[in-house]
Amino acid sequence: MSDLRALLDERLKLWRWIIAATLILLGGGLYYFQILHEDTYVRLASGNRLRLIRFPPIRGEIYDRNGAPVAANVTTFDILGYPLDIEKNDMIEHLAALLSRHGIPVTGEDLEKNVKKQYWAPYRVVRVVTNITLAQMADLVADPEFPRQFFPLPVRRRTYPAGSLASNITGYVGEISESEMKLAAGKGYVGGDQTGKTGIERQYEDILRGTPGEESVEVDSRGRRVKSIHIRPPEEGEDLHLTLDLGAQRLAADLMKGYRGALVVMDVTTGGLIVLYSSPSYDNNPLAWGVTPKEWNALMADPDKPMMDRSIGGQYPPASTFKALVALAALTEKAVTPSTTFYCSGEFRLGRRVFRCWRRSGHGTMNLLTALQNSCDVYFYQAGLKLGITKLMKWAELFGLGSATGVDLPGESSGTTAGPEWKKARIKEAWYLGDTVNYSIGQGFLLTTPIQLARLYAALANGGMLVTPHLSSGGGEPPKKLDVSGKDLDIVRKGLDYVVRRGTGRQAGSFGITVAGKTGTAQNSHGDDHALFAGYAPMDDPKYVAVAIIEGGLHGSSVASPMVGEILSYLLLPESRAKTQ
Amino acid sequence: MEEKRLSLREKLAGLDKLQLLPVLFLFFLGILSIYSAGAGASGGGMKFALRQLVWGGISAAAFLFVLHTGYARILGAAYPIYMGTLAVLFSVMILGLTVKGSQSWLSLGFLRFQPSEFGKVALILVMAKHLCRYPPLTASSFLSALGLAGASGMLVLLQPDAGSALVYGAITIVVVVAAGTPWKYPLTLGGTALLLIPFGWGVLKEYQKARILVFLDPWSDPLGAGYNVIQSRIAVGSGGLLGKGFLEGMQSKLRFLPEPHTDFIFSVFSEEFGFAGAIGVLVLFGLLFWRLIETGMRTKDSRAKVLIAGVSAWIWFQTAESIGMSMGLLPVTGLPLPFVSYGGSSLLSLSIALALVQSVYLSTLKSY
Repeated sequence: MSDLRALLDERLKLWRWIIAATLILLGGGLYYFQILHEDTYVRLASGNRLRLIRFPPIRGEIYDRNGAPVAANVTTFDILGYPLDIEKNDMIEHLAALLSRHGIPVTGEDLEKNVKKQYWAPYRVVRVVTNITLAQMADLVADPEFPRQFFPLPVRRRTYPAGSLASNITGYVGEISESEMKLAAGKGYVGGDQTGKTGIERQYEDILRGTPGEESVEVDSRGRRVKSIHIRPPEEGEDLHLTLDLGAQRLAADLMKGYRGALVVMDVTTGGLIVLYSSPSYDNNPLAWGVTPKEWNALMADPDKPMMDRSIGGQYPPASTFKALVALAALTEKAVTPSTTFYCSGEFRLGRRVFRCWRRSGHGTMNLLTALQNSCDVYFYQAGLKLGITKLMKWAELFGLGSATGVDLPGESSGTTAGPEWKKARIKEAWYLGDTVNYSIGQGFLLTTPIQLARLYAALANGGMLVTPHLSSGGGEPPKKLDVSGKDLDIVRKGLDYVVRRGTGRQAGSFGITVAGKTGTAQNSHGDDHALFAGYAPMDDPKYVAVAIIEGGLHGSSVASPMVGEILSYLLLPESRAKTQ
Repeated sequence: MEEKRLSLREKLAGLDKLQLLPVLFLFFLGILSIYSAGAGASGGGMKFALRQLVWGGISAAAFLFVLHTGYARILGAAYPIYMGTLAVLFSVMILGLTVKGSQSWLSLGFLRFQPSEFGKVALILVMAKHLCRYPPLTASSFLSALGLAGASGMLVLLQPDAGSALVYGAITIVVVVAAGTPWKYPLTLGGTALLLIPFGWGVLKEYQKARILVFLDPWSDPLGAGYNVIQSRIAVGSGGLLGKGFLEGMQSKLRFLPEPHTDFIFSVFSEEFGFAGAIGVLVLFGLLFWRLIETGMRTKDSRAKVLIAGVSAWIWFQTAESIGMSMGLLPVTGLPLPFVSYGGSSLLSLSIALALVQSVYLSTLKSY
């Protein structure tokens, strides 16, 4: 035991030496900095000789599929100064007077407020005035009275040449907020930096942004630059190319003028989005340059909700467009065969409840093809009942309903395939067979987004491949093969062909191309019914799928189907393209 | 050795004054610097200084309580104390308030404390007892001691409080070596750790990587992470021989220094009191260490020797790190400078630790 104690004492002695050595080393370090190199540090410290400048990176630009810019940069000038230098001798007041003389209306008070807001430390530069044009700047610096304590810095500002045409897609940039800065900790943002607020600008922020540059400068006691201590130039952000066709998007905007709703066109095999229009739209240019709270509130309070992207965020009952999926499910699950018929008398009785067909006088004897063609509700009530709610939901989910499509935009809604569990949780009621009847024609609790419907119809058109819709030309995951038989798909597609050729969707077929698709009229308890059309073209070898949803548009056949027909024809027929342009 | 217990008055009379004095001095210099740090643009100097004085009073009370109880009785309860600490550290991880991105605070309504500070005392106590019951002379007892200590270190690391976890590590290594473990064990361990460094890099968080890179070259990011290092070095260096004088340090007044009253308190102090003042602080710490080790040499109780090794390792590591960091010689970790930096939890737990050592000192005065 005493051996151990002796060992411990030995170790303690050693420990004492280690501590002593540490203290001596620290003392040596202090001697080095405080005595040997005192001059260097006194020079840097006295009068705060260190100035820090930050160069914002040039943001990548965004182009449509033909190379037309949807987000670009323009050069403007900011006037900068260090609080240390400008907060004396009424310098700011002087600058304000000078600016007013040159036709730029600002008051000293505004500028003071600006400086105060950005103040962090006396040697950190602040933007006193922003958004000065090149001509104004040249005029200002030519004035001999322009105070040398201020200096111009060229900055790139965001502009959106497509404006309200594609604002739901590109989104806009703005000054980073505190909460956004917290989320992006470690990425080197500082107050006043630009960041994507919505849309592609936000989704691809990391790619578009680039890396800010910085320079630390030693200045003399009068603020003049002595030497650059360290410089790192900014790195430009990467450009982004979209699958969007701005010409088609413009046509969509024209077609949708005066309506609320969404128009989506997608490549059926890749999932690339050609058109993604939400109506009404908003101009994103003023948002990127800064709006007053009043303007902002007006935009937010607009009853038509222009800031909401209906194409990915609007949730609507799929209505009769859902019947194509019910038909496919019923065939695959052997609930019906192509030759199975149901008689439509204009109504269907289930117990004591009566469910009417949209056509009160009835369609007579219907098989699968004629039922699709005429959108016969009674046929699908019975087909749906034979399938049962479990299988109906299974098929809806298989084709991506009830979950986000994964499109590369923020703010997508997932819709809901509201079944028995959802009903129990939401309205505390059991599921009745009558609910299944409504479900079979896409009414009731089922909600989908326009982009989900486009994806569903793309899968019908391309032979059962579930694509991931995307806007970035390099984006999108590879399609997922669904387990459906080509034979059953062919039958459903034939039915969709009948719809346009001689059924409810005839108006989609009058634009010189072969369209197949399905109309829909979604009951709306808050007002007029919504009109829907989902379809693809060319019928034999589908290239594009299109979905139009018009809020309060009453009947899908009259409003939505010609829109789909016209925009598909624009994309497929060169001559119709020339006509619109 | 059942003897007549000394009264508190007798105990106070027998205290090691040479150990107590430097601590009181450091605390006093700390109050001055805390006041000075907040006297400029960042504000709140008086508020922080008064609060630290209150914490000083609480710490003194805790000191008396521990002294009265005696180190032997506290060592007797070392295992339960340590287990309780582990439980608290665990719950902090779960429900702690988020302060500056790490969950190291536990709120008791009116006051908040950092359990990781008290954990250091608990760790030292349990190691002192454990290492003397199972001396780390074999590989298995060496590893079991590391495992016992590692439990608390891990919890602190997960909070995540990497700085404090380093202190736990330093304490553990020093006490195990002080308890007489053969050199080959810690050396093998150290060698393995060196080999694992490249893998460890991936585990670090962005801000931790930035701190290390900036330590290697502060100018690599002069506006971001390197900024603190550069400004702190300017503060220290511009202090010169005699300093700029109390309340005259411009680096801290004009917000050049971040966290001037806690992490960078030594920079504030040495800018104003210069090389002379800074060396004075080093001398005060030297005096303290000398008395700590002296007590360790005097006592016949092996547990007390290990305990003192642990307490001195704790103060040593934080002192070296905090002062080294202020000169940009060590990476920024945000550890307080013992007795000087603003912070109640740190001061209180250090007082408890010193009371334990004083209690050991008193036991060496007893007549045999």
